Amino acid sequence: MDTTTAETSSTGAEGAAHQPLTTAATAEEKSKTKVLVAMDESDGSFYALKWALDHFFWYPIQPDQEPGMIILVHVQPIFQPFIYPAGPVVYATPSMLDSVKQAQAQNAASIFSRALQMCKEKKIKAETLILEGDPKDRICQAAEQLHADLLVIGSRGLGTIKRAFLGSASNYCAHHVQCPILIVKPPPPSKESHLE
Amino acid sequence: MADKQVMIMALDESDHSFYALDWILTQFFSPPSDSAFKLIIIHAKTSPVSAIGLGGPGLGSTDVLHLVEADLTKTAEKVISRAKDLCTSRSVTDVQYEVIKGDARNVMCEAVEKFHASVLTLGSHGYGAFKRAVLGSVSDYCCHHARCSVMIVKKPKQIN
Repeated sequence: MDTTTAETSSTGAEGAAHQPLTTAATAEEKSKTKVLVAMDESDGSFYALKWALDHFFWYPIQPDQEPGMIILVHVQPIFQPFIYPAGPVVYATPSMLDSVKQAQAQNAASIFSRALQMCKEKKIKAETLILEGDPKDRICQAAEQLHADLLVIGSRGLGTIKRAFLGSASNYCAHHVQCPILIVKPPPPSKESHLE
Repeated sequence: MADKQVMIMALDESDHSFYALDWILTQFFSPPSDSAFKLIIIHAKTSPVSAIGLGGPGLGSTDVLHLVEADLTKTAEKVISRAKDLCTSRSVTDVQYEVIKGDARNVMCEAVEKFHASVLTLGSHGYGAFKRAVLGSVSDYCCHHARCSVMIVKKPKQIN
């Protein structure tokens, strides 16, 4: 199996406990909706997160009801330890690897801090998850392993040709993920006034 | 109260669609009175000509078209009544039901524009790549062309 580096951290304020992933139907099972939101640094995924927060968790949470839970997933593409310039193969020095790792960690941290801030404003419990590898595969795997009720993913709105060349994580996930998937598209420019 | 966002639920006669309807009723419409969304259920009624395909010899007679048309109308009625039953059994009463003629793909995308929907929800037959290429996939088309967020609800292969 391919290596998965997973770090889970919970929000400081909430201290979310890891609930056992049982599939027994309990009375509260219905209200514990587990929503997985795929994040990267693009605006599209923050818009998707905002959309999910606005529309799924808008009702005031009853004191006896378990609020739904959001899991933020960020997938870092694996950095190849070697570089192929036109000439001979050059191996990246360890210091380069370190700096790339640091940059990636910083990137992930900034994404999550912004995302967690958004969740905190809505008083939603959120967990974060960092994975490494190919985003499409990892997201689908994570959705399956975590038994997510819904996967939310932004879409860059690429046209057909761009999509064929650049690949589309949302397209792949729509076909391969086992759970319901919500693809959030960026708002059309004319509809900006509709937001909020 | 802020006006509600519109959610369009696309239905055909398959079990996958009704599974999807059931799922969204559970997720978004319970408690039923307090939902963030207004639900509009749309069934696309294909035209008899496209249902048969441009017929070969012997299929051009109007009798066949009538029969197919009648069958499609009956199917549409069955779909809507089944949807109504499901919604009322969940006490969701503020639902609009529409039967719109045309190809499902276009109907759904146009409906999104017409009703200013913020979400389009579809079931998915779960076709593999080959079937999808041959039979076409409404959910695929809608994902790419609808102007709003698209939610695809799949029926799980095994019930967990």
